[in-house]
Amino acid sequence: MSTERTDPLVIARTVRSDGLTVVRQAAPAGSAGFAATYVGPSGWAYDPAGREGTAVLASLLAPSAAGRRDRVTLARELDRLGGSVHRHCAPETNEVAVTGPAAELRALLGILGDVVLRPRFESDDLERVRRQVLERQLREATQPGHRAERELLHAVFPSGHPYRASGLGTRRTVRAVRRTDVVRFHREQTSTAGGFVVLTTSRPLSEVERLVARAFDGFPRERPVRAEPSPRASPRSSVTRVVPMAGRSQTEIRVGGLAIPRADPQYPALYLANEVLGGRSLLNRLFQHVRERRGLAYHASSDLDAMRWGGYWTAQAGTGPERADKVVRLVAAEVRAIAERPIGSSELDRIRESAIGEIPLQLETAGDAHELAVDAAYHGLPDQHWREWPSTLRAISPKAIRVATGPVYDADRAVTVVAGPESVRD
Amino acid sequence: MARSPRAVSGAKRFRLPNGLDVLLAPRPDSPTASVWVWYRVGSKNEWPGVTGASHWVEHMLFQGSPKYAKGEIDRAVVEVGGTLNAFTDTDFTAYFATVPREKLAIPLGIEADRMTRALLADAEVERERTVIRSEREGDENWPEYRADEELYQLAFRHHPYRWDPLGRKEDIRSLTPVALRDYYRRFYGPKNAVLVVAGGFPRAEVERTVRRTFGRLPAVGVDPMVREVEPEPNGDRSSTLRGPGTTPLLAVGWRAPAIDDPATPSAVVLDVVLGGETRLFSAGASWGRSGEHPSSRLYRALVDTGLAVRATSEFRPRMHPSLFTVSAQAAPSVDLGRVEAAVTKVVGGIAREGPTASELADVRTKVRRGAELAYEGASRVGFRLGYFAMLGPPGFESRLLRAILRVRRAEVRARAAAIFATGRRVMVRYEPTGGPDVD
Repeated sequence: MSTERTDPLVIARTVRSDGLTVVRQAAPAGSAGFAATYVGPSGWAYDPAGREGTAVLASLLAPSAAGRRDRVTLARELDRLGGSVHRHCAPETNEVAVTGPAAELRALLGILGDVVLRPRFESDDLERVRRQVLERQLREATQPGHRAERELLHAVFPSGHPYRASGLGTRRTVRAVRRTDVVRFHREQTSTAGGFVVLTTSRPLSEVERLVARAFDGFPRERPVRAEPSPRASPRSSVTRVVPMAGRSQTEIRVGGLAIPRADPQYPALYLANEVLGGRSLLNRLFQHVRERRGLAYHASSDLDAMRWGGYWTAQAGTGPERADKVVRLVAAEVRAIAERPIGSSELDRIRESAIGEIPLQLETAGDAHELAVDAAYHGLPDQHWREWPSTLRAISPKAIRVATGPVYDADRAVTVVAGPESVRD
Repeated sequence: MARSPRAVSGAKRFRLPNGLDVLLAPRPDSPTASVWVWYRVGSKNEWPGVTGASHWVEHMLFQGSPKYAKGEIDRAVVEVGGTLNAFTDTDFTAYFATVPREKLAIPLGIEADRMTRALLADAEVERERTVIRSEREGDENWPEYRADEELYQLAFRHHPYRWDPLGRKEDIRSLTPVALRDYYRRFYGPKNAVLVVAGGFPRAEVERTVRRTFGRLPAVGVDPMVREVEPEPNGDRSSTLRGPGTTPLLAVGWRAPAIDDPATPSAVVLDVVLGGETRLFSAGASWGRSGEHPSSRLYRALVDTGLAVRATSEFRPRMHPSLFTVSAQAAPSVDLGRVEAAVTKVVGGIAREGPTASELADVRTKVRRGAELAYEGASRVGFRLGYFAMLGPPGFESRLLRAILRVRRAEVRARAAAIFATGRRVMVRYEPTGGPDVD
């Protein structure tokens, strides 16, 4: 039996003649479930001008009425089969996933096909999700954490850049979206070309292909020609934004800047740098220096968001307003250190071995393992990417990390946002 | 036919001479092993002046014990790729670590070391004070947290359920290291704990290890039962909070039965009819899936009609009578009075007429399916075995599941009539102040 038949760390893929990529990943041993995701190149980067928010509305409508089923019938059928539909809208993509018991794979995959290809976009449903999006816009504006993230992205990316927006549009643009806009968006953006179906199951690839062909029967083959968004962004000078938010208890701090795409050869080195800075749970520098040594905050961490067209990094902490200045200085110092000073070999080894050691934890359930397959498939990583990930990480030297971090964690170009109670600063 | 949760989990249960209950659930295929220690100690065991102590102890159990100096617990687990954390509830506190299966000895050693001998040093207690303040301040930024805290303060005047497990702000400022150590020494020990080990391991070998390492611990831990009884409510109570937020929020609660009450199964069914799911039996990590339930009564009455953007119910039975809650977030520009009227109509309707036959069939399907899917992966097994061990005797989960699946329509109607009876309601209205410009 070949490795990819049983090893969840290896994927098998085939690109059909119509452009759809079908990916199969073995379900972890003993798993009772399966997971399947359709990834379509239909994120909010493709929102029509003046109708920003359309992609998110279409995404939220995905598990509503589809094919022959109205919304309640669909929900009841999912319950009967023990399945769940999840959706996620991002700048580049719209994802729709279904999970459930392995024994119900065929029926649930049929529902996924209907949800992706034949949504009914009923008017009542559109009005319902429009109300929900309008409320989410308010949440984004009034929650210090959400607000700080939004301000950060506004400062890092230029106007019109797809990563600058949250996808929720504005009150005006979301109110302007009509049902015909959503239907047109779906028609133009959903096609086999550029799409992926990823399936985590114990069934072989040949059967997966047949199941996908049946479930996604009638998939439009041609995507209309459209202009790709031009996502260029250039580093700017350092800037600090303070957002006073009366009546809040905690101040949220975000520091960030531009990073690299996921497929960049320097990604593994930058991944390790982020793990050292604030990514590796409990061991990372921000957590250790801000929380464990000084007791200044409950949360302190960092993220590296590397996508197809580029990316950004963020360091964050939440603290009381009287401690905010001190925490901002500490976070900035750690960012500067990661860019300017080599990481000691013992610290690097600890972080690296932790990252390698956690791989079994990512294989506890079919749903956990599935995330690895979707990541590898979408970013065009080799089939053996996760199998080889340990050796990839072990080959990275402290010097390689410095080369990668220098231009990215540039304190002179970092954006700092402080959002919280008005007494936050002098 | 639903598979028995006990059969699905396949656990062996035994008690050590020092009182520690042990559950071993080997899964030969699992690449991981998950260790959980559950203490029957939570905010229910606190009193005014020491509220938040259980949660504070939870933090301190990562800050040093004889074999693990500060920081070494985190390092020991995370450096091998494991994950660890803990959480505090009203009725219990749970600590867990999931590691690659060959590293199981690490979390077992940690839990044995800190069960009775955590250091709780003065300097570390003081340093953690600001961390806990910060954790609470982060929660206070959310209107949902503030409304929920207010709801329980309104509902309970005597029972410790009236404060949040994070503790009162005033107590977080004033609690002393001495008081915290006293609290720890009083309650934490094998007599009040359940150890769960799930995942890929040889059972006989791990059983020997457990008997050797945990069997040496002293039989300590005073009875954590709470005998305070909250008097029956004598009228509706309500409160209005104002602060930053999006749209008005309504939180309503009614006194609900304790976990061992024969009325609990019908109350669980009532929760699924109104809110769409019970978190006791649903697929997914820890508390299962969350999300929208378009077929539920509250969703149809509030979200479909444009009154709210979210509406759900929750009945999570506890060791003592607690609350059955309904919460709804108004849609933009909708007055909270209309939301309140709709909630009143929904609960009145189910109390008069009960669920339809179709609704009851759907509830049984959801619960049965949820129970089948709830035990995937070592971490989930550890969570569920420990959770139900906190709330009932061996076999409790299976019996509760069977009882839920046997509930009839008339029982749900009677339960709704009892829970939603006049004069038993507490209600919090959260009115946002100001408003951002999102254009």
